[in-house]
Amino acid sequence: MTRIRDIDRVLIISTLLLVVLGVVMVYSTSYVVAMKRFGDEYFFVKKHLTYAVAGVVLMIAASRVPYVLYRKMAYPILIAAAVFLILIYIPGIGFSAGGARRWIRLGPVAFQPSEPAKLAVIFFLAYSLAAKRDLIKTFSPGFLPNVLIPGVIIGLIMFETDLGTSLALASIVFLMIFAAGVRLRYILGSLALLGLGLWFVVHNFRYMMDRILIFVDPWKDPEGKGFQMIQSFLAFGSGGIYGVGLGEGRQKLFFLPEAHTDFILSVIGEELGLIGVAGVVAFFVVILACGMKVAMKAKDLHGQYLALGLTFMVVFQAAMNMGVVMGLLPPKGLPLPFISYGGTSLMVNLVAIGILLNIYIRENEA
Amino acid sequence: MRRRKKAKADYFKLRLTVVVGLFLAAFGVIIFRAVQLQIVKGPELKKMADRQHRKTLNLQSKRGDIYDRNLKALAVSVEVDSVFAQPDKMESPRATARALSRVLGVSSFEIEKKLSGEGRRFVWLKRQVDLKSEDRELIRGLEGVGIIKEGRRFYPNRQLASNLIGFTGVDANGLEGVEKYYDAMLKGSSARLTGERDAMGRVILYDDLDKAVPLQGMEVELTIDKTVQYIAEKSLKKAVDSFNAKGGTAIVMDPLTGEVLAMANQPSFDPNDIRRYGSGSWRNRAVTDTFEPGSTFKLFLIAAALEENIVKPESRYFCENGKYRVADRVFHDTKEHGWLTVTEILKYSSNIGTAKIGEELGSEQVYRYLKAFGFGKRNGVDLPGEAAGVLRHPKDWSKVSLHTISFGQGVSVTGLQMVTALSAIANGGFLMQPYVVKSVKEPGGRPVAETHPAVVKRIISEETASKLTRMMVESTREKSTGELAALPDFEVAGKTGTAQKPDLKKGGYARGAYIASFLGFVPADDPRLAILVTVDEPEVEHYGGTVAGPVFREIAEESLAYLGVFREGAGAPKVEKALMHKEAPARAAGETFEIRPMAVPDFTGKSVRMVMRMSRERSFDVEIKGSGRAVSQSPPPGSSIPSKRPVKVEFR
Repeated sequence: MTRIRDIDRVLIISTLLLVVLGVVMVYSTSYVVAMKRFGDEYFFVKKHLTYAVAGVVLMIAASRVPYVLYRKMAYPILIAAAVFLILIYIPGIGFSAGGARRWIRLGPVAFQPSEPAKLAVIFFLAYSLAAKRDLIKTFSPGFLPNVLIPGVIIGLIMFETDLGTSLALASIVFLMIFAAGVRLRYILGSLALLGLGLWFVVHNFRYMMDRILIFVDPWKDPEGKGFQMIQSFLAFGSGGIYGVGLGEGRQKLFFLPEAHTDFILSVIGEELGLIGVAGVVAFFVVILACGMKVAMKAKDLHGQYLALGLTFMVVFQAAMNMGVVMGLLPPKGLPLPFISYGGTSLMVNLVAIGILLNIYIRENEA
Repeated sequence: MRRRKKAKADYFKLRLTVVVGLFLAAFGVIIFRAVQLQIVKGPELKKMADRQHRKTLNLQSKRGDIYDRNLKALAVSVEVDSVFAQPDKMESPRATARALSRVLGVSSFEIEKKLSGEGRRFVWLKRQVDLKSEDRELIRGLEGVGIIKEGRRFYPNRQLASNLIGFTGVDANGLEGVEKYYDAMLKGSSARLTGERDAMGRVILYDDLDKAVPLQGMEVELTIDKTVQYIAEKSLKKAVDSFNAKGGTAIVMDPLTGEVLAMANQPSFDPNDIRRYGSGSWRNRAVTDTFEPGSTFKLFLIAAALEENIVKPESRYFCENGKYRVADRVFHDTKEHGWLTVTEILKYSSNIGTAKIGEELGSEQVYRYLKAFGFGKRNGVDLPGEAAGVLRHPKDWSKVSLHTISFGQGVSVTGLQMVTALSAIANGGFLMQPYVVKSVKEPGGRPVAETHPAVVKRIISEETASKLTRMMVESTREKSTGELAALPDFEVAGKTGTAQKPDLKKGGYARGAYIASFLGFVPADDPRLAILVTVDEPEVEHYGGTVAGPVFREIAEESLAYLGVFREGAGAPKVEKALMHKEAPARAAGETFEIRPMAVPDFTGKSVRMVMRMSRERSFDVEIKGSGRAVSQSPPPGSSIPSKRPVKVEFR
């Protein structure tokens, strides 16, 4: 029993440590830029801290809401997500930042609908896969709806040129249907189709092609398109094993673009060294382990799939972000969960942890 | 049924294990990559990052100010804004250009052109511009545009001493004059720093950088006296204007020290706005230009003849009634003279008389003395672009060279050489090292380098100097060539000069083109000022006495009044007196070395080697007896350095 009790505690502590590290790193990374742009070195960290507190409150709230709700509400939530994604294109509500149209504003709140859309897809899949457990080996309804319906959402996200999020979400979908027992040949077949489609898309959008080419050889254009990649390498290299010390990093001084968002791990690498990077990786592995444990112990199949999907969402995105900043994957524009600056992403990930805790609690109650 | 369920659960577990395995593999690769980046390639990447951050910054230290000898500001630095742009960091160059056009007073078309160069990362939009604070705000609000503080040179006295002080370029490096010669010190030698910079090229200040923050440039204190300089410039300009001359110079030197008190030039310029003036007006003609001295040069020939005991002031020479044939040349005097004493030869400026004295002295001696007076080589003053002038070796002389050089033709000199040589007559025979910078100080006031008066060489005896001075005084009495230079309250020792300018195109001399000059010092019995005035190509009048004489008088009279020098009775011989003036404070300070360069130092207790070194520095000979430490010397400490005999020092 004590072992199981440990799970929620370890999960909460790991998550909160990452969040705290995020707040510290956002400050360390952004104060110079914040000072320059807004005359207030705390500009970014104040906002980030607000989101973190709100996120933790949401996490606690989510841990109290019975997860059965997500089964009952799976379709309404999915439809809402799709509506929000379409709202982006309505003038006055949707707006763009950083070259991509990804934001909507409702009253005082601005957020990226693609982040909660990930939750909606996972809710739907968990419900759908659990509901069709006996027909899972069939092409339809075992495979096709579980790919097509998320595919619509993913398509909408991809359309707003958020390739990173859509790829991450697609991967989560495939991981979930694989774990749920969908026939391997369907999965591989659709992956092949997807690859073809991707090839087509990449060829038609110059910025994606650029990203791939830069990934292949960032040194070809170190002053231009390879700049960000190389600056990231230089940050890691400067850090060595022990790092140059918190706040002492230099790459964030306008060299490394988006240092406080997508490339925050590079700054961790520079300031906290290999030890810091390994620590972050370790915490995500711990979260993965806890998530898997919760999934294994879930009292029903829906809880199992839900736990899987949420864990994948957090950990897969972490791995992808790390792969990008280290030059293992083409640049994609994905934040590092819990750490990167960015309110919507932080809150959605904390909600995911909250739901995991609820699944674990429900299991214990039984 | 149950078994099937269990099998299914196992199957689920297997798939889960595969997924977890994939994740772990991915994280493994990430850690592997981190090790590669941070440890294997770490040092190499770090070096690249350092290169990017560390840049030798020319942190524009505040350029040091330049003062006159009374610490009145001549050149100061003020901080002004310079506006730059980083075109690759702005979204719309056109909009930016439009926004900046009003603030900078440059057309938006021009700004856009500057911004549109392909791949330009940095471009100056306008340097050293006066911005209002709201304009500064506006610029700060624009992406890709910024302001850098730069020091701009400001010359509060405008034209005053501009040819001597020089000016700086827009990058704050000295381009002319003292600004150029002392550029490294004015800039601050430690101004080059290694600092952090960010991707926008700005300096990021860290704590450790604070301590090293750019040293200010050194301050330079000149020997120039602003008031004397003003008097000299005003008087010179008046003459140049009224005689419609091409230019002119006036140099005032302290004959006892070699310090230049004033160096006036015409034409001149306002260093605050150099572009308005042609580069021809930038030169410091007093040191960069040479001219044939003409009659003023006779002083040095007669000095040599007196020193060699070939003539006495009352020796008589027949001046051939104005026509003297030598080889194929006929020399003329402006007035016909029969027999004249040497004093009269100088007074009436007889070319023929001087030529005859030159004949008696001989080529070798004439050459040796003129060389000793500093002609034909640079004085080594601390100013850029100094000319050496031309004094050929006797082996290159023609049959008439000896005669022409005797009265100042066929040689060329700089104004500074003339004043320095004159000072040697005024101070009792010592050729001094001329200089314009008294000291270089750190911003806090601690001196870094000080220039002390230094004797280059003793040339003539005090007796010769004193005789020549009396003769020069005669030259400024009534009915002499230099009568217009005479002062009511002081005796003036001086000499006029009227030299034809060589015709550079045709050879020979240009008709109607003269350099009128006056060379003299006051008061004759206790010289405080040695002055040269030259006026280049005056019209209507061209005699040195009428054109340059009154300028000399005005400079001398007003400067002496300003310096608080009043008429006093004739007293002790001048050098002794001069030494007494300087001796008292020197003794009090316990320093007999540098303050009185013309006096024999106190050798008591010094080693042989030290005595040798001290005598070398002062250019006199010593005769050494015995060994060990000095116990006695002759002449005694504080007396004037003898011109011919060595100083005897006994050691025990």
